[in-house]
Amino acid sequence: MKALRIEPEKCTGCMRCELACSYMQTGAFQPAKAVIRVAALEAHTSYAPYTCVQCAEGWCMTACPVDAIAISPLGAKIVLADQCVGCKLCTIACPYGTMHFDVNTHKATKCNLCAGDPACAAACPTAAIVWTETDNRDWLGSFAAERSTFNLTGMAASK
Amino acid sequence: MAATRPAKRPARAAKPKGKSPARKAHAKPAARSAAKAMAKASLKRPKAAAKVIAKRPGKPAKPLTKAAAKAAAKGQAKAARPARRHVIVGAGTAGINAIRTLRQLGGTGEITLVAAERPYSRMVLPYYLDGSIGAAHAGTASPTHLERWGVKALFGRRAAGLDTAAGKLKLDNGDEVPYDDLLIATGSSAARPPVPGADAPGVHSFWTLADAEGLSRAIAPNSHVVMVGAGFIAFTILGGIMQRAGRVTIVEVASRILPRMIDDAGAALVGQWLQAKGVTLRAGTTLQSIQSKGGKPSLALAGGGTLDCDAVVMATGIRPNLEWLKGSPVQVNHGIVVDDRLRSSVPNVYAAGDVAEAKNLIGGAREVHAIEPTAMDHGRVVGANMAGKDVRYAGSLLMNIVSVAGLDIASFGAWDDPQAEVITGHAPARHAYRKYLFRGERLVGAILVSPNAETWSGNDLGMLKGLVQAGRPLGAWKAWLRQNPFDIKKPYLAGRTVSALLPHTTLGQASPSPRE
Repeated sequence: MKALRIEPEKCTGCMRCELACSYMQTGAFQPAKAVIRVAALEAHTSYAPYTCVQCAEGWCMTACPVDAIAISPLGAKIVLADQCVGCKLCTIACPYGTMHFDVNTHKATKCNLCAGDPACAAACPTAAIVWTETDNRDWLGSFAAERSTFNLTGMAASK
Repeated sequence: MAATRPAKRPARAAKPKGKSPARKAHAKPAARSAAKAMAKASLKRPKAAAKVIAKRPGKPAKPLTKAAAKAAAKGQAKAARPARRHVIVGAGTAGINAIRTLRQLGGTGEITLVAAERPYSRMVLPYYLDGSIGAAHAGTASPTHLERWGVKALFGRRAAGLDTAAGKLKLDNGDEVPYDDLLIATGSSAARPPVPGADAPGVHSFWTLADAEGLSRAIAPNSHVVMVGAGFIAFTILGGIMQRAGRVTIVEVASRILPRMIDDAGAALVGQWLQAKGVTLRAGTTLQSIQSKGGKPSLALAGGGTLDCDAVVMATGIRPNLEWLKGSPVQVNHGIVVDDRLRSSVPNVYAAGDVAEAKNLIGGAREVHAIEPTAMDHGRVVGANMAGKDVRYAGSLLMNIVSVAGLDIASFGAWDDPQAEVITGHAPARHAYRKYLFRGERLVGAILVSPNAETWSGNDLGMLKGLVQAGRPLGAWKAWLRQNPFDIKKPYLAGRTVSALLPHTTLGQASPSPRE
């Protein structure tokens, strides 16, 4: 099955994915509305694009009290906006922190794989995000752990 | 304006408050109007075919060899085993999720659903109250769903007793429903304090769809609404009432708001937010009685004050609907005590949701978690087990989120663990608060207060849940968090939390779409 393959080693932190995502999802260039978020690590020396892994459980989907989250033909868990009441239960049920809430529409939002042509992948200039056949959902692996030692040693030094 | 949000308050909330002894809950007004089209179906079990075959006419009773008898019995059982009879009591979140899962996982038995009300989601009633959805939107399993699932529905009926020896559920109209296995998912009712006038005109509960409709009709743009109780349920509708009424006063017997959902520091922040939005808070105030003054309620408060208003909402807790089980051998403590497969002390009787005293993911003790996500999980696990799977539940994670006028308030897991090591972050100017509770290097609970316009607070909610759920040791990140309490993202990502969570599913397999 096709999925987003994210290789954070290639990410330059240009944030084009966030811009493209917000435009595709909401019609506005507004990274605050993006459902992919780039995490800056090690004082902005490394970056990790972070979005929904379309997990097997679908914690958001099984938590929704009005069946407003379904599985698309692409295998994406998608929010059915006309059904969503904005109760936020999905935002506390998703253990990945990838359910978002649009403060203007009062609806939950999440990565829906852009109906098969993800804007983040199309916008990425370094192929850090690629839409391809892959079974691996654990993009991040140990990347953040390896790129965060500075945070911890810096903390230790200041003590 | 963002109104309110999900999940129910823990059942502990229904405990007696103050000095009043053993509070007697007010009988739930039945929403019987919804129950007219009751299916009058035959409750008789289809003739047990195995029995019929055993008495096959025309064949002389002839002693068989032991092996032949065994083979014959096996063949007969295979050919003639009657459909398994599943009975689901309650059409709330747990009951409907059990039915859906039973069918999704291939269960082919007969399903009978017994429920006082037609299926709807209690959790979305606040959105009906604030006017953002119609009543129909709250409906869950429609008649079409029930037909597709092959469910024989007995709406408007309540369970009245259980004969576990005979395998029969007794209904309030005297009928009996035989079962091979049964799910008790009878949920909770709203409880009112035993004060004089608690049933006076203009005094509402907010629990059933009928309650929501009644309260909605009672609120006008210039109304003064008094909310008695400042727990989770009160907060789910507070935003809606603030939008629709002229004035809101909260009367809470405890010394502060949200006493069973967040701590003192978090509550103080929420209180400031509400007062800035014009809500009057009267914590530490005991309601003595309610009089009717010119057709409107007037509250008499301990210490002498009175409070006149147009409508009173009694958000004073809930209690599980278990009285009907009296005399049955099903073991009841705070709720029905269930094992990891959600079976009660009577193995073919399951319990789920608000009535179940089941495993807590944090620590493993058995507790009642009367919250929406637990009811869903329980229902799914029971449905899977009724379908013949062998699913053990890992335990439910206590979690609540409520949002009032743009402020998110959430707590997870052991947020009030007195033995935990605590790290807090407090930014009053930002209306932001974080609390982390650690046992050793593991996060076991958390509290978050944050304006929902803060872009990252949404991610923080899920990440806090993920950290508590995964229970990964955070090592040096714990000390780091002490210095950076508003940056949970780094410990989450660096802690390999995603890798730890990915293999987890509740039923041991990928979840199908609820709309399949």
